[in-house]
Amino acid sequence: MTGAATLPGPYASPEALGESRRQVEELVCGLPGADPSQMGFQFPWEIRAFAMAVAAHQALRFDWPQFQGALIASIQGWENGNAERGEVPWSYYEHWVAALETVMATQCVLEPNVLDEKVQRVLAEPPNRNHHEAHTEPIAIDPARSPKRHGA
Amino acid sequence: MSAKIRTQEEIAARVKALESMLIEQGIMTTQAIDRMVEIYEHEVGPQLGAKVVAKAWSDPQFKARLVEDASEACKELGISGLQGEDMVVVENTDTVHNIIVCTLCSCYPWPVLGLPPNWYKDPQYRAAITREPRKVLGDSFDFTVPEDVEVRVWDSSSEMRYWVLPQRPAGTQGWSEEQLADLVTRDSMIGVGPVAAAAS
Repeated sequence: MTGAATLPGPYASPEALGESRRQVEELVCGLPGADPSQMGFQFPWEIRAFAMAVAAHQALRFDWPQFQGALIASIQGWENGNAERGEVPWSYYEHWVAALETVMATQCVLEPNVLDEKVQRVLAEPPNRNHHEAHTEPIAIDPARSPKRHGA
Repeated sequence: MSAKIRTQEEIAARVKALESMLIEQGIMTTQAIDRMVEIYEHEVGPQLGAKVVAKAWSDPQFKARLVEDASEACKELGISGLQGEDMVVVENTDTVHNIIVCTLCSCYPWPVLGLPPNWYKDPQYRAAITREPRKVLGDSFDFTVPEDVEVRVWDSSSEMRYWVLPQRPAGTQGWSEEQLADLVTRDSMIGVGPVAAAAS
């Protein structure tokens, strides 16, 4: 197999990424909590959810204020319920996920019950189910092809 | 949104389920999401690996502890976040060069190295790097390991995640840890690229 030769090289130019980034930032700058100090990602699921909302907007061409409104509603729900009880910790991207769910349901591409079932199935699977045991030795060794040249 | 506390595991599962449903319905592709993630991938996770490497280069006792038990040594620097998984640091020497891969998925020490690059998840990288590591380094990463150095490839799993301690570059005597950390690249900690050369 000649897989190595067909591997992608540097997979996107900094210029192309910069342009995409400007477009995304234009989109998100009107959102609540969109100040740069709050936009950082701590966990991989956060960036996945972020990317999915932008990709869904590009694919379905729904009005972005729909998402904005859903995000505001989710955050307000948290503020109203949580201000008294203080039970649910603040997570910006959980509201992002909730807003995405709301918009996808409005677009009739998501049935909440089906999603809940699917979540249960994902949780029931061990993570990386075939890859759970520790591998304590190298999986491949390519020995030195010439002896070390001392003082070379 | 229901007012209940979700664990990181639950919310991650929810996002995964949502993604697979939207893909199944043909609304988006994994590639479209990956493209968007690419824009920000350097901003996920604390990317503290460079700091750890610079400390190991400067402090031999810390290096010994790091190679002995990376999870514990990283805790000394306030770095944790892997839940119950072991982190193992493999050290490059004059005679051994190490590379990491996850042959089945994309297990990666992200609390230390940030989000894995897209190619790390590529089936071609995962297969080829174990078969012809030197060739992949040369052809795909333009990186040559000398012929007299053995190449070892380590398979990360969800139980044990590897990363590479590169060699300290020449010409950096007397450098501070901050200066040294600037030389440490992500690719050097995966084993597919060099650390930056010390500018004279």
